Amino acid sequence: MAAVEQIGRAGKAPAEFWTVNRLRIAGIVAILGVWEIAGWSGLFFRGVLPSTVFIVGSMAELLMSAEFYWHLAVTGFEVLVSFIIGCFFGTLVGLVLGTRKFTGDVFEPFIHYLAPTPKIVFLPILLVLFGVGVWSKVALGAISAFFPMALGVAAGVRQVSAVLLRVGKTFNLTTMQTVRMIYLPAMVPPIATGLRIGLGISIVGCLLSEYKLAKAGLGFLAGQYYESFAVAHMLAVLVIIFIFASIGNVLIEKYVRLPGPGDVKAHR
Amino acid sequence: MTNATETASTTATPALRIDSVAKTFSTPHGDVVALEPISLDIQQGEFIAIIGPSGCGKSTLMNAVGGLLEDYEGRVEVDGTVVRGCHKEIGMVFQEESTFPWRTALDNVAFPLEAAGVGKAERHEKAMELLNLVGLDGFENRFPAELSGGMRQRIAIARTLAFKPRILLMDEPFAALDEQTRLLLGDKVLQIQQELNQTTMLITHNIAEAVQLADRVLIMTFRPGRIKRVIDIDLPRPRSSKMMGGERFGQYVAAIWDDLREEASKGLLELEQVRS
Amino acid sequence: MTMPQSASSPHNASGGPGSGRGITIPPVLARTLFLIVAIGFWELASQIGWINPFTAPPPSAIWGGLIQIIQAGELGAAFVRTFLEALAASAIGSIGGIAIGWWLHSGKKIGVAYTSWVAAAASAPLVLLYPLFLVIFGRNSSTIVAMGALGCMPAIILKAKDGLDGVRPVLLNVGKAFSLTPRQQFRMIQFPAALPVIFTGIRIGLLFAIINVVGVEFLIAFGGLGQLISDLGDRFDYPAMYAAIFFVVLVSVAFFYLTEKLELWLLSSK
Repeated sequence: MAAVEQIGRAGKAPAEFWTVNRLRIAGIVAILGVWEIAGWSGLFFRGVLPSTVFIVGSMAELLMSAEFYWHLAVTGFEVLVSFIIGCFFGTLVGLVLGTRKFTGDVFEPFIHYLAPTPKIVFLPILLVLFGVGVWSKVALGAISAFFPMALGVAAGVRQVSAVLLRVGKTFNLTTMQTVRMIYLPAMVPPIATGLRIGLGISIVGCLLSEYKLAKAGLGFLAGQYYESFAVAHMLAVLVIIFIFASIGNVLIEKYVRLPGPGDVKAHR
Repeated sequence: MTNATETASTTATPALRIDSVAKTFSTPHGDVVALEPISLDIQQGEFIAIIGPSGCGKSTLMNAVGGLLEDYEGRVEVDGTVVRGCHKEIGMVFQEESTFPWRTALDNVAFPLEAAGVGKAERHEKAMELLNLVGLDGFENRFPAELSGGMRQRIAIARTLAFKPRILLMDEPFAALDEQTRLLLGDKVLQIQQELNQTTMLITHNIAEAVQLADRVLIMTFRPGRIKRVIDIDLPRPRSSKMMGGERFGQYVAAIWDDLREEASKGLLELEQVRS
Repeated sequence: MTMPQSASSPHNASGGPGSGRGITIPPVLARTLFLIVAIGFWELASQIGWINPFTAPPPSAIWGGLIQIIQAGELGAAFVRTFLEALAASAIGSIGGIAIGWWLHSGKKIGVAYTSWVAAAASAPLVLLYPLFLVIFGRNSSTIVAMGALGCMPAIILKAKDGLDGVRPVLLNVGKAFSLTPRQQFRMIQFPAALPVIFTGIRIGLLFAIINVVGVEFLIAFGGLGQLISDLGDRFDYPAMYAAIFFVVLVSVAFFYLTEKLELWLLSSK
């Protein structure tokens, strides 16, 4: 059987030059190149695809302006608060759905089927309820983050090996102890995944609602730049948003984990 | 080393000639000689079984002859013409599950004909003939998932026979099946081979199977693989699994086991050395 | 205490006290009852004034709003518009996604180099890029379709690559044994073998496309259902707006459910 895998390794010579890292560099160069060429080519209306140089310049300008940090703070606040609220309630509901079979059977389908609907459409209601300020954005972010968190936690709870629970029973653990010593550690992977997804969704929810109607925030800022056709600045804001979103993701990956090999059960 | 080739006679061009086929693999741990030069002639209509311990290079040999491996020393000739790489005249049946799950039995068997551009009516007709041959008429519209392992292998065999290849190569085709299915399938393969006068090369690690089916049994050594001994199986044809209880059958099996045991223990020894 | 019972399975190891009353209520019935009670409560609360009837109109008013937008033809037209845009976006995303997925599968180093980028894109908030498309295409359907296509491509790329990678080597060897050309190898073996996984990708893609399409329609107030919701909100016609929102929820639930069933059926027959 091993012989089959070694078949057909002829013709390796040109492939040797391209290591994975070189391929990646080439990829970045190609993407930037296409961008630049498209911008200069005149295929698009002048100024629609500003050169990378201008975008970087705008980013520098932004990072040195106090106003930017105000907007960053507003959005940061919205994301953080909506993320916490959404994940908190999501975890709570997820725990209930995962541990109580009947409740789970009845109510989880609601969450399962509502999850893929675009939550942004609820914004008008939230605007009326909470006003144009940050709280409508927080509400939308929280609602958005709630769903993946609830589903992830519910699935995670169910995955906790029945064997481990029986072990806990033989030691006569109280409910609190069972939750703390068996459920929670076993659920770190699905909770971490839920947090990662939830963060991304909170960010999207908050920013999109800022685009639509807001008085402050990075999304609002991007909208302003769009209105005044300051495309380079608008793209600079988007790039910064992306960078922060990625940092958030990486932080969650790094810090939401158990010491040592954390998986009780392999999770997709 | 003695090339224990016993060509029946050199007047008739052998259906398959393996001429000093050898293969060395370069691995990070150095060169590994999988096959030392193997030479062998198989006449039209012969049934050869190649038996050897795991690691003796029999799959390498099969892949070289079948054409999945093209980088080897030596030559393979079919009816006097040199071939290297996959060829219409050499059919291969694999050990693993190889039917296409998304095609019915009929469409599975018709697959190579379809790829060659044969028209629908014609290829369905030919496929039905082959399904009859392997005893699966009535199941042509079933999907492999609905059929047993033995039936799936029969589909694979029928598919391989679609082009009426001169040589049929089978790499441990019954390894994944239970003993009873294996015996009955063995009978079926014999029946097909006799009906079509099909030249066949079977790779197996099952001694009883080799004796049941083959005219000659080639015993291979542990790596580096070469032919240790050739044993003529002088049991009357037509054969069937009913012979398995016979005395001569048992003698052949014992003789082969003697040789095989020696080679197999070398393999075990190496495994233990690697583990320790 | 009696064992918790439910119509879906006789007993389970985990799961707490639950409904230990010994009465078996099928979950479907429970859900329906719950909905009826919830709607009834909402109607009552809104009519009485416990909740603000302006911001949360009673279900009866919402129903009236629904009839209104159906009869005016607004809902039908908007639905068709959104559906076509989502279909176009998902088609473009699928074709591009399968092609790129095939490319990532075809070269081992290429796969190693770029797959992680695509995985990052799959979880990135791509929809935030819509202002860029707005600038490029203007305020029209192209922006919406482009955004939808971009939104669903990473997921489809990953599934296409996974599906192709997962084709069992023995099946490819059968093709080689019969001297199939590379095109035949792809068309007759690789693609059918990978299809269940690829279909999962297309299904995920379709859902992402719907979400992104409705979202962008709403944000730029142009297109189909998203625009309808935005306009009704601007007009302060809240009963009709709620009706439109619920309609969108209903549509996406229906899509999700149907494609889920389709996918299960496909997987079971292979």
